[in-house]
Amino acid sequence: MSHSATPANKPNSTSTLPHRPHVLVFRRHHLLVRWSHWLNVPILLGLILSGISIYWASPVYQHKPDPTTGNFDVAADIGIWISAHVPGLHQYSRPPDWIYNHMSLGPGMLALALRLHWLCAYSFILNGLVYVAGLVMGGGWRSLLLRRTDLSDSPKMFWYYLGFPFAKLTRRRWPHPHFNTKYNALQRAAYFSIPVAGFLSITTGWAIHKPMQFHWLAAIFGGYNAARVWHFWLMWLYIAFVVPHVILVLADGWDSLRSMIVGWSTKVKRSEAIANER
Amino acid sequence: MSDDQKSDSLQPEEIRSTGSLLSAKCARQTDGGPSSVAVGSLSIKKPQGFFDERSLPATEMTPGRLRYLTRRDVLLFGAGAVAALTGAGFLLPQDTLSRLGVRQNMDSPGKEWLLNKALRIDDDVAEVLYSGNRRVPTYAKSQITPLKNNYNGATPDPGYVSGWNLTLEGLTSGLSISLDIRNLTSRFSVHEQITRLVCVEGWSAVAWWGGLRFDDLLRAYPPMSQANWARVESSVNLDASGNPDPYFMSLDLATARHPQTLLATHFKGQPLTVDHGAPLRLLVPVKLGLKNVKAITRITYVAEEPRDYWAERGYSRYDGI
Repeated sequence: MSHSATPANKPNSTSTLPHRPHVLVFRRHHLLVRWSHWLNVPILLGLILSGISIYWASPVYQHKPDPTTGNFDVAADIGIWISAHVPGLHQYSRPPDWIYNHMSLGPGMLALALRLHWLCAYSFILNGLVYVAGLVMGGGWRSLLLRRTDLSDSPKMFWYYLGFPFAKLTRRRWPHPHFNTKYNALQRAAYFSIPVAGFLSITTGWAIHKPMQFHWLAAIFGGYNAARVWHFWLMWLYIAFVVPHVILVLADGWDSLRSMIVGWSTKVKRSEAIANER
Repeated sequence: MSDDQKSDSLQPEEIRSTGSLLSAKCARQTDGGPSSVAVGSLSIKKPQGFFDERSLPATEMTPGRLRYLTRRDVLLFGAGAVAALTGAGFLLPQDTLSRLGVRQNMDSPGKEWLLNKALRIDDDVAEVLYSGNRRVPTYAKSQITPLKNNYNGATPDPGYVSGWNLTLEGLTSGLSISLDIRNLTSRFSVHEQITRLVCVEGWSAVAWWGGLRFDDLLRAYPPMSQANWARVESSVNLDASGNPDPYFMSLDLATARHPQTLLATHFKGQPLTVDHGAPLRLLVPVKLGLKNVKAITRITYVAEEPRDYWAERGYSRYDGI
Protein backbone atom coordinates (compact mmCIF):
# COMPACT_ATOMS: atom_id res chain seq x y z
CA MET A 1 0.00 0.00 0.00
CA SER A 2 2.97 2.25 -0.46
CA HIS A 3 1.32 4.06 -3.34
CA SER A 4 -1.28 5.60 -1.02
CA ALA A 5 1.45 7.74 0.48
CA THR A 6 0.48 10.22 3.13
CA PRO A 7 -1.02 13.27 1.46
CA ALA A 8 0.13 16.77 2.46
CA ASN A 9 -3.23 17.71 3.91
CA LYS A 10 -3.44 14.57 5.95
CA PRO A 11 -5.87 15.04 8.81
CA ASN A 12 -4.92 14.37 12.36
CA SER A 13 -7.15 13.58 15.26
CA THR A 14 -7.90 17.24 16.00
CA SER A 15 -8.98 18.41 12.53
CA THR A 16 -12.64 18.57 11.51
CA LEU A 17 -14.03 17.79 8.01
CA PRO A 18 -10.72 17.53 6.25
CA HIS A 19 -10.35 17.61 2.49
CA ARG A 20 -9.85 14.03 1.34
CA PRO A 21 -8.69 13.49 -2.22
CA HIS A 22 -8.57 9.73 -1.80
CA VAL A 23 -11.07 7.14 -2.95
CA LEU A 24 -11.72 4.04 -0.94
CA VAL A 25 -11.73 0.99 -3.19
CA PHE A 26 -12.65 -2.56 -2.32
CA ARG A 27 -11.11 -5.57 -4.00
CA ARG A 28 -14.08 -7.64 -5.04
CA HIS A 29 -12.63 -10.31 -7.32
CA HIS A 30 -9.28 -12.08 -7.29
CA LEU A 31 -7.24 -11.87 -10.49
CA LEU A 32 -7.65 -15.60 -11.18
CA VAL A 33 -11.41 -15.38 -10.64
CA ARG A 34 -11.59 -12.52 -13.18
CA TRP A 35 -9.46 -14.37 -15.71
CA SER A 36 -11.44 -17.57 -15.47
CA HIS A 37 -14.72 -15.63 -15.53
CA TRP A 38 -13.95 -14.03 -18.88
CA LEU A 39 -12.30 -17.11 -20.36
CA ASN A 40 -15.55 -18.92 -19.70
CA VAL A 41 -17.26 -16.75 -22.30
CA PRO A 42 -15.48 -18.16 -25.39
CA ILE A 43 -15.09 -21.62 -23.82
CA LEU A 44 -18.76 -22.04 -22.93
CA LEU A 45 -19.81 -20.61 -26.27
CA GLY A 46 -17.54 -23.12 -28.01
CA LEU A 47 -18.87 -25.96 -25.88
CA ILE A 48 -22.51 -25.07 -26.54
CA LEU A 49 -22.09 -24.50 -30.30
CA SER A 50 -20.07 -27.68 -30.82
CA GLY A 51 -22.31 -29.54 -28.36
CA ILE A 52 -25.46 -28.85 -30.37
CA SER A 53 -23.59 -29.92 -33.52
CA ILE A 54 -22.79 -33.20 -31.75
CA TYR A 55 -26.42 -33.45 -30.60
CA TRP A 56 -27.47 -33.29 -34.27
CA ALA A 57 -25.81 -36.66 -34.96
CA SER A 58 -28.08 -38.44 -32.48
CA PRO A 59 -30.74 -36.23 -30.91
CA VAL A 60 -31.79 -37.05 -27.37
CA TYR A 61 -35.34 -36.00 -28.15
CA GLN A 62 -36.78 -38.08 -30.98
CA HIS A 63 -40.17 -39.31 -32.11
CA LYS A 64 -41.37 -41.89 -34.63
CA PRO A 65 -40.22 -40.85 -38.13
CA ASP A 66 -42.67 -38.58 -39.91
CA PRO A 67 -44.34 -40.67 -42.69
CA THR A 68 -43.74 -38.00 -45.36
CA THR A 69 -40.43 -36.36 -44.42
CA GLY A 70 -38.86 -39.18 -42.41
CA ASN A 71 -37.85 -36.64 -39.77
CA PHE A 72 -37.58 -37.88 -36.18
CA ASP A 73 -35.72 -35.00 -34.53
CA VAL A 74 -37.68 -32.64 -32.29
CA ALA A 75 -35.09 -29.88 -32.86
CA ALA A 76 -35.70 -30.21 -36.60
CA ASP A 77 -39.46 -29.92 -35.97
CA ILE A 78 -38.85 -26.67 -34.11
CA GLY A 79 -36.79 -25.40 -37.05
CA ILE A 80 -39.60 -26.34 -39.45
CA TRP A 81 -42.13 -24.56 -37.23
CA ILE A 82 -39.95 -21.43 -37.00
CA SER A 83 -39.44 -21.35 -40.78
CA ALA A 84 -43.19 -21.70 -41.31
CA HIS A 85 -44.34 -19.10 -38.77
CA VAL A 86 -41.66 -16.45 -38.37
CA PRO A 87 -42.12 -13.65 -40.91
CA GLY A 88 -39.31 -13.47 -43.44
CA LEU A 89 -38.24 -17.08 -42.99
CA HIS A 90 -40.74 -18.70 -45.37
CA GLN A 91 -38.07 -18.99 -48.04
CA TYR A 92 -35.56 -20.63 -45.70
CA SER A 93 -33.81 -23.30 -47.75
CA ARG A 94 -33.45 -26.06 -45.13
CA PRO A 95 -36.08 -25.61 -42.40
CA PRO A 96 -35.08 -28.80 -40.49
CA ASP A 97 -31.57 -27.37 -40.15
CA TRP A 98 -32.71 -23.95 -38.90
CA ILE A 99 -31.92 -24.70 -35.24
CA TYR A 100 -28.55 -26.23 -36.10
CA ASN A 101 -27.66 -23.39 -38.46
CA HIS A 102 -28.45 -20.80 -35.80
CA MET A 103 -27.60 -22.46 -32.49
CA SER A 104 -24.64 -24.65 -33.38
CA LEU A 105 -21.60 -24.81 -35.64
CA GLY A 106 -23.92 -26.44 -38.16
CA PRO A 107 -25.35 -29.83 -39.07
CA GLY A 108 -23.32 -32.68 -40.56
CA MET A 109 -19.95 -31.91 -39.03
CA LEU A 110 -19.67 -34.40 -36.20
CA ALA A 111 -15.91 -35.01 -36.47
CA LEU A 112 -15.11 -31.28 -36.47
CA ALA A 113 -17.54 -30.59 -33.65
CA LEU A 114 -16.07 -33.37 -31.52
CA ARG A 115 -12.53 -32.04 -31.94
CA LEU A 116 -13.63 -28.54 -30.93
CA HIS A 117 -15.67 -29.93 -28.05
CA TRP A 118 -12.64 -31.77 -26.64
CA LEU A 119 -10.47 -28.67 -27.00
CA CYS A 120 -13.05 -26.54 -25.19
CA ALA A 121 -13.82 -29.24 -22.63
CA TYR A 122 -10.21 -29.62 -21.52
CA SER A 123 -9.91 -25.81 -21.44
CA PHE A 124 -13.09 -25.66 -19.35
CA ILE A 125 -11.70 -28.16 -16.84
CA LEU A 126 -8.40 -26.25 -16.52
CA ASN A 127 -10.29 -22.96 -16.30
CA GLY A 128 -12.45 -24.40 -13.53
CA LEU A 129 -9.30 -25.23 -11.57
CA VAL A 130 -8.04 -21.66 -12.07
CA TYR A 131 -11.39 -20.36 -10.80
CA VAL A 132 -11.28 -22.55 -7.70
CA ALA A 133 -7.67 -21.46 -7.06
CA GLY A 134 -8.78 -17.81 -7.32
CA LEU A 135 -11.67 -18.40 -4.92
CA VAL A 136 -9.34 -19.99 -2.39
CA MET A 137 -6.51 -17.47 -2.76
CA GLY A 138 -8.82 -14.47 -2.62
CA GLY A 139 -11.06 -15.97 0.05
CA GLY A 140 -14.06 -15.28 -2.18
CA TRP A 141 -15.50 -18.74 -1.70
CA ARG A 142 -17.01 -17.68 1.63
CA SER A 143 -19.24 -15.14 -0.11
CA LEU A 144 -20.76 -17.90 -2.26
CA LEU A 145 -21.87 -20.13 0.58
CA LEU A 146 -25.62 -20.39 0.94
CA ARG A 147 -27.20 -19.18 4.18
CA ARG A 148 -30.34 -20.25 5.93
CA THR A 149 -31.73 -16.69 5.61
CA ASP A 150 -31.48 -16.99 1.81
CA LEU A 151 -34.71 -18.98 1.84
CA SER A 152 -36.69 -15.96 3.00
CA ASP A 153 -34.50 -13.34 1.34
CA SER A 154 -34.62 -14.86 -2.14
CA PRO A 155 -38.34 -14.15 -2.75
CA LYS A 156 -37.78 -10.54 -1.60
CA MET A 157 -34.96 -10.11 -4.10
CA PHE A 158 -36.98 -11.81 -6.79
CA TRP A 159 -39.89 -9.45 -6.11
CA TYR A 160 -37.52 -6.50 -6.22
CA TYR A 161 -36.09 -7.51 -9.62
CA LEU A 162 -39.54 -8.30 -10.97
CA GLY A 163 -41.03 -4.98 -9.91
CA PHE A 164 -38.01 -2.83 -10.71
CA PRO A 165 -38.82 -2.05 -14.38
CA PHE A 166 -42.44 -1.18 -13.51
CA ALA A 167 -41.33 1.01 -10.61
CA LYS A 168 -38.96 2.82 -12.96
CA LEU A 169 -41.65 3.31 -15.56
CA THR A 170 -44.19 4.59 -13.05
CA ARG A 171 -41.53 6.60 -11.18
CA ARG A 172 -42.38 4.90 -7.93
CA ARG A 173 -39.91 4.39 -5.13
CA TRP A 174 -38.74 0.80 -5.11
CA PRO A 175 -36.35 0.25 -2.22
CA HIS A 176 -33.67 -2.38 -2.60
CA PRO A 177 -33.91 -5.09 0.09
CA HIS A 178 -31.25 -4.54 2.72
CA PHE A 179 -28.24 -6.84 2.87
CA ASN A 180 -24.71 -6.36 4.17
CA THR A 181 -22.95 -9.21 2.43
CA LYS A 182 -21.02 -9.19 -0.82
CA TYR A 183 -23.94 -10.72 -2.71
CA ASN A 184 -27.65 -10.75 -2.17
CA ALA A 185 -29.54 -14.00 -1.63
CA LEU A 186 -30.38 -14.53 -5.32
CA GLN A 187 -26.87 -13.72 -6.48
CA ARG A 188 -25.51 -16.18 -3.96
CA ALA A 189 -27.89 -18.86 -5.20
CA ALA A 190 -26.84 -18.20 -8.81
CA TYR A 191 -23.10 -17.86 -8.21
CA PHE A 192 -23.15 -20.96 -6.03
CA SER A 193 -25.08 -23.12 -8.49
CA ILE A 194 -23.10 -22.22 -11.58
CA PRO A 195 -19.80 -23.72 -10.34
CA VAL A 196 -21.78 -26.75 -9.16
CA ALA A 197 -23.33 -26.99 -12.63
CA GLY A 198 -19.85 -26.69 -14.12
CA PHE A 199 -18.72 -29.60 -11.99
CA LEU A 200 -21.76 -31.64 -13.02
CA SER A 201 -21.22 -30.81 -16.70
CA ILE A 202 -17.68 -32.08 -16.44
CA THR A 203 -18.68 -35.26 -14.60
CA THR A 204 -21.64 -36.04 -16.90
CA GLY A 205 -19.31 -35.26 -19.80
CA TRP A 206 -16.82 -37.87 -18.61
CA ALA A 207 -19.67 -40.29 -17.94
CA ILE A 208 -20.82 -40.17 -21.57
CA HIS A 209 -17.33 -39.82 -23.02
CA LYS A 210 -15.92 -42.84 -21.18
CA PRO A 211 -19.02 -44.89 -20.29
CA MET A 212 -17.00 -48.09 -19.89
CA GLN A 213 -13.99 -46.95 -17.85
CA PHE A 214 -16.25 -44.59 -15.84
CA HIS A 215 -19.36 -46.81 -15.83
CA TRP A 216 -19.78 -46.11 -12.10
CA LEU A 217 -19.96 -42.40 -12.90
CA ALA A 218 -22.61 -42.98 -15.57
CA ALA A 219 -24.48 -45.12 -13.03
CA ILE A 220 -24.56 -42.20 -10.56
CA PHE A 221 -26.49 -40.18 -13.15
CA GLY A 222 -28.79 -43.08 -13.94
CA GLY A 223 -26.83 -44.75 -16.73
CA TYR A 224 -25.35 -43.71 -20.04
CA ASN A 225 -28.53 -42.43 -21.66
CA ALA A 226 -29.63 -40.52 -18.58
CA ALA A 227 -26.18 -38.91 -18.30
CA ARG A 228 -26.64 -37.57 -21.85
CA VAL A 229 -29.94 -35.99 -20.79
CA TRP A 230 -28.25 -34.45 -17.75
CA HIS A 231 -25.44 -33.10 -19.90
CA PHE A 232 -27.96 -31.60 -22.33
CA TRP A 233 -30.08 -29.82 -19.71
CA LEU A 234 -27.06 -28.51 -17.82
CA MET A 235 -26.28 -26.55 -20.98
CA TRP A 236 -29.69 -24.87 -20.74
CA LEU A 237 -28.89 -23.93 -17.15
CA TYR A 238 -25.95 -21.82 -18.37
CA ILE A 239 -28.13 -20.15 -20.98
CA ALA A 240 -30.83 -19.52 -18.37
CA PHE A 241 -28.18 -18.04 -16.09
CA VAL A 242 -26.34 -15.90 -18.62
CA VAL A 243 -29.36 -13.96 -19.89
CA PRO A 244 -30.44 -12.38 -16.57
CA HIS A 245 -26.80 -12.23 -15.45
CA VAL A 246 -25.84 -9.94 -18.34
CA ILE A 247 -29.02 -7.86 -18.07
CA LEU A 248 -28.59 -7.33 -14.32
CA VAL A 249 -24.91 -6.43 -14.57
CA LEU A 250 -25.65 -3.87 -17.26
CA ALA A 251 -28.55 -2.53 -15.20
CA ASP A 252 -26.37 -2.36 -12.10
CA GLY A 253 -23.88 -0.18 -13.90
CA TRP A 254 -20.22 0.39 -14.53
CA ASP A 255 -18.98 -0.33 -11.03
CA SER A 256 -20.12 -3.97 -11.17
CA LEU A 257 -18.74 -4.56 -14.65
CA ARG A 258 -15.47 -2.82 -13.78
CA SER A 259 -15.04 -4.91 -10.67
CA MET A 260 -14.93 -8.07 -12.84
CA ILE A 261 -12.36 -6.49 -15.17
CA VAL A 262 -10.22 -4.44 -12.79
CA GLY A 263 -11.10 -6.10 -9.53
CA TRP A 264 -12.16 -3.00 -7.59
CA SER A 265 -15.42 -1.57 -6.54
CA THR A 266 -15.89 1.88 -5.06
CA LYS A 267 -19.23 0.94 -3.55
CA VAL A 268 -18.84 0.38 0.15
CA LYS A 269 -22.13 -1.21 0.99
CA ARG A 270 -23.93 -2.64 -1.96
CA SER A 271 -27.57 -2.34 -1.00
CA GLU A 272 -27.27 1.22 0.30
CA ALA A 273 -25.13 2.31 -2.63
CA ILE A 274 -27.77 0.94 -4.96
CA ALA A 275 -30.51 2.66 -2.98
CA ASN A 276 -28.68 5.99 -2.98
CA GLU A 277 -28.21 5.92 -6.72
CA ARG A 278 -31.83 5.45 -7.47
CA MET B 1 3.17 1.67 7.90
CA SER B 2 4.32 4.91 9.38
CA ASP B 3 3.19 6.07 12.78
CA ASP B 4 0.92 8.86 11.60
CA GLN B 5 -0.97 6.46 9.34
CA LYS B 6 -1.91 4.36 12.30
CA SER B 7 -3.99 7.18 13.72
CA ASP B 8 -6.12 7.36 10.58
CA SER B 9 -9.38 5.51 10.92
CA LEU B 10 -9.55 4.94 7.15
CA GLN B 11 -6.41 2.94 6.88
CA PRO B 12 -7.01 -0.40 5.18
CA GLU B 13 -5.34 -2.42 7.90
CA GLU B 14 -7.78 -1.17 10.48
CA ILE B 15 -10.76 -1.63 8.24
CA ARG B 16 -9.78 -5.17 7.65
CA SER B 17 -9.25 -5.80 11.29
CA THR B 18 -12.68 -4.52 12.28
CA GLY B 19 -14.12 -7.33 10.26
CA SER B 20 -17.24 -5.82 8.72
CA LEU B 21 -18.29 -3.58 5.92
CA LEU B 22 -20.49 -1.75 8.37
CA SER B 23 -17.55 -0.54 10.40
CA ALA B 24 -15.78 0.61 7.25
CA LYS B 25 -18.65 2.86 6.41
CA CYS B 26 -19.01 4.12 9.94
CA ALA B 27 -15.33 4.78 10.06
CA ARG B 28 -15.68 7.01 7.07
CA GLN B 29 -18.58 8.92 8.63
CA THR B 30 -16.74 9.48 11.85
CA ASP B 31 -13.63 10.46 10.02
CA GLY B 32 -11.50 12.87 11.98
CA GLY B 33 -12.73 11.83 15.37
CA PRO B 34 -10.61 9.88 17.78
CA SER B 35 -10.28 6.96 15.49
CA SER B 36 -9.47 4.16 17.83
CA VAL B 37 -12.61 4.82 19.85
CA ALA B 38 -14.85 5.24 16.80
CA VAL B 39 -13.75 2.05 15.14
CA GLY B 40 -13.45 0.05 18.28
CA SER B 41 -16.91 0.84 19.54
CA LEU B 42 -18.63 0.00 16.26
CA SER B 43 -16.83 -3.11 15.26
CA ILE B 44 -18.67 -6.38 15.55
CA LYS B 45 -17.13 -8.40 18.30
CA LYS B 46 -18.56 -11.76 17.31
CA PRO B 47 -15.67 -14.12 16.63
CA GLN B 48 -15.48 -15.16 12.98
CA GLY B 49 -15.97 -18.78 12.08
CA PHE B 50 -14.06 -20.43 9.28
CA PHE B 51 -17.04 -20.23 6.94
CA ASP B 52 -18.09 -16.66 7.84
CA GLU B 53 -17.85 -14.09 5.11
CA ARG B 54 -14.90 -11.69 5.52
CA SER B 55 -15.01 -8.02 4.69
CA LEU B 56 -13.60 -7.08 1.32
CA PRO B 57 -9.98 -5.99 1.35
CA ALA B 58 -9.96 -2.21 1.02
CA THR B 59 -7.38 0.26 -0.09
CA GLU B 60 -7.16 3.99 -0.68
CA MET B 61 -5.92 5.67 -3.79
CA THR B 62 -6.14 9.03 -5.49
CA PRO B 63 -8.87 9.34 -8.13
CA GLY B 64 -6.12 9.90 -10.70
CA ARG B 65 -4.45 6.64 -9.90
CA LEU B 66 -7.77 4.80 -9.85
CA ARG B 67 -8.53 6.23 -13.30
CA TYR B 68 -5.11 5.24 -14.59
CA LEU B 69 -5.29 1.67 -13.30
CA THR B 70 -8.86 1.28 -14.52
CA ARG B 71 -7.92 2.54 -17.99
CA ARG B 72 -4.91 0.22 -18.10
CA ASP B 73 -6.86 -2.88 -17.09
CA VAL B 74 -9.84 -2.10 -19.33
CA LEU B 75 -7.51 -1.63 -22.30
CA LEU B 76 -5.76 -4.91 -21.51
CA PHE B 77 -9.15 -6.56 -21.23
CA GLY B 78 -10.20 -5.14 -24.59
CA ALA B 79 -7.01 -6.41 -26.21
CA GLY B 80 -7.65 -9.84 -24.68
CA ALA B 81 -11.23 -9.83 -25.95
CA VAL B 82 -10.11 -8.98 -29.49
CA ALA B 83 -7.47 -11.71 -29.32
CA ALA B 84 -10.02 -14.24 -28.04
CA LEU B 85 -12.50 -13.31 -30.79
CA THR B 86 -9.83 -13.67 -33.46
CA GLY B 87 -8.68 -16.98 -32.01
CA ALA B 88 -12.22 -18.31 -31.76
CA GLY B 89 -12.96 -17.24 -35.35
CA PHE B 90 -9.78 -18.98 -36.45
CA LEU B 91 -10.90 -22.24 -34.85
CA LEU B 92 -14.40 -22.35 -36.33
CA PRO B 93 -15.06 -24.90 -39.09
CA GLN B 94 -15.02 -23.51 -42.62
CA ASP B 95 -18.72 -24.36 -43.11
CA THR B 96 -19.65 -22.27 -40.06
CA LEU B 97 -17.53 -19.36 -41.27
CA SER B 98 -19.11 -19.54 -44.73
CA ARG B 99 -22.54 -19.33 -43.12
CA LEU B 100 -21.36 -16.25 -41.24
CA GLY B 101 -20.38 -14.69 -44.56
CA VAL B 102 -16.64 -15.39 -44.56
CA ARG B 103 -15.78 -16.21 -48.17
CA GLN B 104 -12.08 -16.73 -47.63
CA ASN B 105 -10.73 -20.17 -46.87
CA MET B 106 -9.62 -19.99 -43.24
CA ASP B 107 -8.38 -23.58 -42.95
CA SER B 108 -4.72 -23.64 -42.09
CA PRO B 109 -2.08 -26.12 -40.92
CA GLY B 110 -2.01 -24.37 -37.53
CA LYS B 111 -5.72 -24.90 -36.98
CA GLU B 112 -5.46 -28.57 -37.95
CA TRP B 113 -2.48 -28.97 -35.66
CA LEU B 114 -4.26 -27.48 -32.64
CA LEU B 115 -7.49 -29.44 -33.11
CA ASN B 116 -5.60 -32.66 -33.78
CA LYS B 117 -3.54 -31.98 -30.67
CA ALA B 118 -6.74 -31.82 -28.61
CA LEU B 119 -7.83 -35.09 -30.22
CA ARG B 120 -4.46 -36.69 -29.43
CA ILE B 121 -4.51 -35.54 -25.82
CA ASP B 122 -7.99 -36.99 -25.48
CA ASP B 123 -6.80 -40.28 -27.01
CA ASP B 124 -3.82 -40.37 -24.63
CA VAL B 125 -6.16 -39.81 -21.69
CA ALA B 126 -8.35 -42.67 -22.93
CA GLU B 127 -5.32 -44.93 -23.18
CA VAL B 128 -4.28 -44.08 -19.61
CA LEU B 129 -7.81 -44.80 -18.38
CA TYR B 130 -7.87 -48.23 -20.02
CA SER B 131 -7.22 -51.21 -17.82
CA GLY B 132 -6.98 -54.74 -19.13
CA ASN B 133 -8.56 -56.02 -15.92
CA ARG B 134 -11.53 -53.69 -15.81
CA ARG B 135 -14.64 -55.38 -17.15
CA VAL B 136 -17.40 -53.39 -18.79
CA PRO B 137 -20.88 -53.69 -17.27
CA THR B 138 -22.96 -56.62 -18.46
CA TYR B 139 -26.73 -56.65 -18.60
CA ALA B 140 -29.65 -59.01 -18.17
CA LYS B 141 -31.59 -60.30 -21.20
CA SER B 142 -34.53 -58.12 -20.16
CA GLN B 143 -32.35 -55.01 -20.66
CA ILE B 144 -31.53 -55.75 -24.31
CA THR B 145 -32.44 -52.90 -26.68
CA PRO B 146 -32.87 -52.95 -30.47
CA LEU B 147 -29.71 -52.63 -32.54
CA LYS B 148 -30.13 -51.18 -36.00
CA ASN B 149 -28.11 -52.13 -39.06
CA ASN B 150 -25.65 -49.30 -38.99
CA TYR B 151 -23.57 -50.18 -42.04
CA ASN B 152 -21.93 -46.92 -43.07
CA GLY B 153 -22.77 -47.49 -46.73
CA ALA B 154 -24.96 -50.07 -48.43
CA THR B 155 -25.32 -53.48 -46.80
CA PRO B 156 -23.18 -56.03 -48.70
CA ASP B 157 -24.84 -58.67 -50.85
CA PRO B 158 -24.99 -61.96 -48.83
CA GLY B 159 -23.12 -63.76 -51.61
CA TYR B 160 -19.78 -63.21 -49.92
CA VAL B 161 -20.66 -65.36 -46.89
CA SER B 162 -20.35 -68.76 -48.57
CA GLY B 163 -16.78 -68.20 -49.73
CA TRP B 164 -15.73 -66.28 -46.62
CA ASN B 165 -12.27 -66.72 -45.09
CA LEU B 166 -10.37 -64.93 -42.35
CA THR B 167 -6.74 -64.24 -43.23
CA LEU B 168 -4.19 -63.71 -40.46
CA GLU B 169 -0.90 -61.98 -41.23
CA GLY B 170 2.06 -60.68 -39.27
CA LEU B 171 2.36 -63.85 -37.20
CA THR B 172 5.43 -65.20 -35.37
CA SER B 173 5.47 -68.08 -37.82
CA GLY B 174 5.76 -65.65 -40.71
CA LEU B 175 2.97 -67.54 -42.40
CA SER B 176 -0.29 -66.26 -43.74
CA ILE B 177 -3.10 -68.28 -42.18
CA SER B 178 -6.52 -68.68 -43.70
CA LEU B 179 -9.41 -69.88 -41.53
CA ASP B 180 -13.01 -70.56 -42.41
CA ILE B 181 -15.87 -70.12 -39.97
CA ARG B 182 -15.96 -73.83 -39.08
CA ASN B 183 -12.25 -73.75 -38.10
CA LEU B 184 -12.98 -70.85 -35.80
CA THR B 185 -16.15 -72.09 -34.12
CA SER B 186 -14.93 -75.65 -33.62
CA ARG B 187 -11.51 -74.80 -32.33
CA PHE B 188 -12.30 -72.05 -29.81
CA SER B 189 -14.71 -71.95 -26.91
CA VAL B 190 -17.69 -69.69 -27.28
CA HIS B 191 -18.26 -66.85 -24.81
CA GLU B 192 -21.51 -64.99 -24.45
CA GLN B 193 -22.01 -61.49 -23.15
CA ILE B 194 -24.68 -58.81 -23.06
CA THR B 195 -22.88 -55.49 -23.32
CA ARG B 196 -23.51 -51.94 -24.48
CA LEU B 197 -22.33 -50.85 -27.89
CA VAL B 198 -21.77 -47.07 -27.93
CA CYS B 199 -21.71 -45.11 -31.18
CA VAL B 200 -19.60 -41.98 -31.62
CA GLU B 201 -22.86 -40.27 -32.60
CA GLY B 202 -24.20 -40.72 -29.08
CA TRP B 203 -26.73 -43.53 -29.36
CA SER B 204 -26.09 -46.92 -27.84
CA ALA B 205 -27.61 -50.39 -27.74
CA VAL B 206 -27.47 -53.22 -25.24
CA ALA B 207 -27.00 -56.40 -27.26
CA TRP B 208 -26.40 -60.09 -26.68
CA TRP B 209 -23.34 -61.47 -28.42
CA GLY B 210 -21.56 -64.79 -28.65
CA GLY B 211 -18.18 -65.62 -30.09
CA LEU B 212 -14.57 -66.45 -29.44
CA ARG B 213 -12.23 -64.28 -27.48
CA PHE B 214 -9.78 -62.30 -29.58
CA ASP B 215 -7.27 -63.21 -26.87
CA ASP B 216 -7.76 -66.93 -27.63
CA LEU B 217 -7.02 -66.31 -31.29
CA LEU B 218 -3.91 -64.34 -30.33
CA ARG B 219 -2.73 -67.26 -28.19
CA ALA B 220 -3.41 -69.82 -30.92
CA TYR B 221 -1.75 -67.77 -33.64
CA PRO B 222 0.74 -65.51 -31.85
CA PRO B 223 1.59 -62.25 -33.59
CA MET B 224 5.22 -61.40 -34.31
CA SER B 225 7.05 -60.14 -31.24
CA GLN B 226 7.34 -56.51 -32.35
CA ALA B 227 3.60 -56.23 -33.08
CA ASN B 228 1.65 -53.68 -31.02
CA TRP B 229 -1.28 -53.22 -33.31
CA ALA B 230 -3.81 -55.16 -35.29
CA ARG B 231 -5.13 -53.85 -38.57
CA VAL B 232 -8.66 -55.25 -38.84
CA GLU B 233 -10.19 -55.12 -42.32
CA SER B 234 -13.32 -55.95 -44.17
CA SER B 235 -13.05 -56.14 -47.92
CA VAL B 236 -16.79 -56.57 -48.42
CA ASN B 237 -17.93 -53.13 -47.20
CA LEU B 238 -19.68 -50.88 -49.67
CA ASP B 239 -20.15 -47.14 -49.90
CA ALA B 240 -23.58 -45.51 -50.02
CA SER B 241 -23.95 -46.08 -53.77
CA GLY B 242 -22.99 -49.75 -53.48
CA ASN B 243 -19.39 -49.57 -54.74
CA PRO B 244 -16.62 -51.42 -52.87
CA ASP B 245 -15.36 -49.37 -49.93
CA PRO B 246 -13.02 -51.56 -47.87
CA TYR B 247 -13.14 -50.78 -44.16
CA PHE B 248 -9.92 -50.82 -42.16
CA MET B 249 -9.38 -50.06 -38.53
CA SER B 250 -6.50 -49.93 -36.07
CA LEU B 251 -6.75 -51.80 -32.79
CA ASP B 252 -4.06 -51.81 -30.10
CA LEU B 253 -3.21 -55.32 -28.97
CA ALA B 254 -3.78 -54.43 -25.31
CA THR B 255 -7.45 -53.87 -26.15
CA ALA B 256 -7.55 -56.95 -28.40
CA ARG B 257 -6.49 -59.01 -25.36
CA HIS B 258 -9.30 -57.66 -23.15
CA PRO B 259 -11.42 -60.61 -21.95
CA GLN B 260 -14.60 -58.98 -23.32
CA THR B 261 -13.16 -58.33 -26.78
CA LEU B 262 -14.86 -60.96 -28.94
CA LEU B 263 -14.70 -62.10 -32.49
CA ALA B 264 -18.46 -62.47 -32.50
CA THR B 265 -20.20 -65.17 -34.47
CA HIS B 266 -23.62 -64.94 -32.80
CA PHE B 267 -26.17 -62.23 -32.12
CA LYS B 268 -29.19 -62.92 -29.88
CA GLY B 269 -28.18 -66.58 -29.77
CA GLN B 270 -28.36 -66.95 -33.58
CA PRO B 271 -25.53 -66.92 -36.13
CA LEU B 272 -24.82 -63.35 -37.27
CA THR B 273 -26.96 -62.05 -40.08
CA VAL B 274 -25.45 -60.01 -42.92
CA ASP B 275 -26.84 -56.83 -41.27
CA HIS B 276 -24.65 -57.46 -38.25
CA GLY B 277 -21.52 -58.61 -40.07
CA ALA B 278 -21.89 -62.32 -40.84
CA PRO B 279 -20.07 -64.54 -40.34
CA LEU B 280 -17.52 -62.87 -38.01
CA ARG B 281 -17.38 -59.38 -36.58
CA LEU B 282 -15.32 -57.63 -33.98
CA LEU B 283 -17.10 -56.83 -30.72
CA VAL B 284 -14.94 -54.55 -28.62
CA PRO B 285 -17.12 -52.90 -25.99
CA VAL B 286 -14.28 -50.75 -24.59
CA LYS B 287 -14.15 -48.92 -27.94
CA LEU B 288 -16.62 -46.82 -29.89
CA GLY B 289 -18.92 -48.68 -32.27
CA LEU B 290 -16.91 -47.64 -35.30
CA LYS B 291 -14.07 -49.94 -34.16
CA ASN B 292 -16.44 -52.94 -34.16
CA VAL B 293 -15.67 -54.05 -37.71
CA LYS B 294 -18.32 -56.18 -39.41
CA ALA B 295 -17.56 -59.10 -41.73
CA ILE B 296 -13.84 -59.16 -40.92
CA THR B 297 -11.82 -60.65 -43.77
CA ARG B 298 -8.25 -59.94 -42.66
CA ILE B 299 -6.30 -59.25 -39.47
CA THR B 300 -2.71 -58.04 -39.85
CA TYR B 301 -0.41 -57.61 -36.86
CA VAL B 302 1.97 -54.69 -37.21
CA ALA B 303 4.53 -52.79 -35.12
CA GLU B 304 3.41 -49.25 -36.03
CA GLU B 305 -0.08 -47.84 -35.71
CA PRO B 306 -1.89 -48.72 -38.94
CA ARG B 307 -4.26 -46.51 -40.93
CA ASP B 308 -7.78 -46.12 -39.67
CA TYR B 309 -10.86 -45.44 -41.81
CA TRP B 310 -12.50 -42.92 -39.47
CA ALA B 311 -9.26 -41.34 -38.21
CA GLU B 312 -8.67 -40.37 -41.85
CA ARG B 313 -12.06 -38.67 -41.77
CA GLY B 314 -11.28 -36.47 -38.77
CA TYR B 315 -12.28 -38.77 -35.89
CA SER B 316 -9.96 -39.95 -33.16
CA ARG B 317 -7.75 -43.03 -33.52
CA TYR B 318 -7.76 -44.77 -30.18
CA ASP B 319 -11.49 -44.38 -29.49
CA GLY B 320 -11.36 -45.94 -26.03
CA ILE B 321 -14.50 -45.35 -24.02
